[in-house]
Amino acid sequence: MTPAFEKLQKHLKQLPGLGYRSSERIALHLLVEKPAQLPALVAALEEAARAVRRCTRCGNLAEEELCGLCADERRDQTVVCVVEHVPDLVAIERSGAFRGSYHVLHGKLSPIQGVGPEQLNFGALIDRIETGGVGELILALSNDVEGEATCHYLTEYITKGRDVKITRIGFGLPSGGGVLYADSVTLRSALEGRRSFQ
Amino acid sequence: MRLRSLTLRHFRNVGFAALEFSGRQHFLLGANGQGKTNLLEAAGFLTALRSFRTSDNKLLVGHTQHTAAIAAVVEHERQGETKITIKLRHDGKELWCDQARVTKLAEYLGKFPTVVFSSQDLQLVRGSPAGRRRWLDLTLAAMDPGYLRALQMFSRALTERNALLKTGRAGETQLAAFEQTLAPAAAQLIALRSSGIKALGATVKSGYAKLCDDAEPASLVYEPNFAEADAEALLARLEAGRARDAQFRTTLVGPHRDDFQFNVHHTAAKDFASEGQQRSLVLALRLAQAAWFQEKSGVRPVLLADDVLGELDPVRRSRFWSAIDHEAQIIATGTSLPAAELGTWQIFDVADGAFSERGAPREAAL
Repeated sequence: MTPAFEKLQKHLKQLPGLGYRSSERIALHLLVEKPAQLPALVAALEEAARAVRRCTRCGNLAEEELCGLCADERRDQTVVCVVEHVPDLVAIERSGAFRGSYHVLHGKLSPIQGVGPEQLNFGALIDRIETGGVGELILALSNDVEGEATCHYLTEYITKGRDVKITRIGFGLPSGGGVLYADSVTLRSALEGRRSFQ
Repeated sequence: MRLRSLTLRHFRNVGFAALEFSGRQHFLLGANGQGKTNLLEAAGFLTALRSFRTSDNKLLVGHTQHTAAIAAVVEHERQGETKITIKLRHDGKELWCDQARVTKLAEYLGKFPTVVFSSQDLQLVRGSPAGRRRWLDLTLAAMDPGYLRALQMFSRALTERNALLKTGRAGETQLAAFEQTLAPAAAQLIALRSSGIKALGATVKSGYAKLCDDAEPASLVYEPNFAEADAEALLARLEAGRARDAQFRTTLVGPHRDDFQFNVHHTAAKDFASEGQQRSLVLALRLAQAAWFQEKSGVRPVLLADDVLGELDPVRRSRFWSAIDHEAQIIATGTSLPAAELGTWQIFDVADGAFSERGAPREAAL
C-alpha cells in the first residue's frame, strides 16, 4: 500500500465501529472502486463541517442558532425530554409519540471514562429552566448505573429548588413481545412498573 | 445433570481430548502434571464461565494458540440433552447453547451446576476474605438472578465512585449521584448474603457432623463490613465518610469488604481448628454448596473431586463417601486407583495431556 492510502486508512479506522478490515475496505472503495463519487463526498463533508453545529438551546444538530425542533412553534417547549445522544432523540422522534422538545446531554456521568458534569450539556439546560417555561423534564437516559447516576445528579443539583416536575421513562416489555422471551431483569422492572388496568 | 461427553481443544496442556462418559463414576488416573485437573477445570467452567483455579482466562488457552474450545453434551433434568460450546480467546469468550449464541451471563449462569472439591479449598478457611467473597458471590449468584443483578450494579457503581475519588477532586453532588445507585444495590447484597450464609451454614453444620464425630458444632458467621441491610442507613454512612474516602481515594465502607468466618465450637477455625478439622470444614462447605444448588434449581450438580479421595485418611474418606449424594455424577482424579470400597469406576489414563479410556478398544493405527 502507499503512504497516502495508509494515512487515509488510519483516519478511517479511528471512526466509531470501524476496525482494520472495514477501514481498508472503505478506503479501497473510495479510491479505486468508485473514485467518481469522491468529490461529492468531500464536498458534503466540508459543507456539513461548516454548517452543522449544536443547537444553542437543546444541543441537537442545527444549522441555524436553533435546531428545527426548537424553532418549531407547534411543539410544546414546556415539556423537555432529556436524552444522552442525538441518535436517542432521532429514535424517539421516529416513534412519533412525543410532541415536546428535547435536551441532548452528549453523554452521561462516568468518572471511569473521565466524563464529569463539565463535559455534559448541563449549562444550557440550567439556562432553559432559569428563563422559565420548562414545566416537566422527562428523563430518557439509559437504565444503567451511569444513566441512573446522571438522573440523580439532574434531580439533586440542576432542578433542586426550581419548580420543575421530573419524570423517568418506563422500563419493561417490548411492544408486541411475549413474556416468554423477555430476560429476567426486564421482567423484573416490568413487574415493578405495573399499573392499574381498569 | 450428567455430563455425557466432554471435548477439549487447545485447553491448557490438552491439545485435543474427547471423553465419552458412561455410568456415574469416572476416574482420571495419572502422575502429577499430566492434565487431570485441567479436565476438571474445563468441566467446572460450564457452571459460571469461570475457572476454579484462576481468574485470568488467558492462562486457559494453550501455549502458542489463539483459541481454546470446550464442548460438552449434558443430560439435564430440565432441558433434556443440551450441547454447550465455549470458545476462549485471549480477549474474551463466546458461548453457544444448542447452537444458539448466549450473550447474557444472567441467562446462563448456574444452569449447569458443578461443584469442585479441591485441595486448594483449604484457602477458603485460611486465606484472604477476597477468596471467600468470590466463592460466596458465585454460589449465590448462580441460583439467584436478583443477586447477580445487585452484584453487577453494586460493582459498577463502586468502580465509578472510586474512579471519581481517584481524581482527587470529587464533587459532593457527583459522589451523591453514584451513591444513590450504589446504596440500594449494596443493601440488597447485604440482605441476600445474610440469608444465604444462614441457610448454607445450617447445611455446613449437619455436613460437618457427618464427617467428624467430634460433637463440636460447626457454623458460618457472616461478618458484614456494614451490618444494616438498609439503603438509607448506608447512604448516610457513605455521606458521612466522604471526607475520609477522599483522603484514601477509595470507598472504605460497603459489602466489597464483607467476609464470613468458619467457626468450630464457637471459635474461629482459621486460628484454632486443627488441619483435619479445617479439611472437614471445607468438604462440608462444598457439600452444602452442592445441596444448595440442587435445592434452588432442582438440578443435581456434577461433583468434581480433584485429588481429594487420595488425601483423606481411610476413616474420613469413608465418611465423606457416605455423605455425598449417591445419585450425583462424580468425576475424580488421583495418582492411584481409588480404594475398592468406593465402587466401580470408568477409568481414563492421563499422560501428557492425552486421555485414553482403560478397557476401551483401541483405534487401529492408520
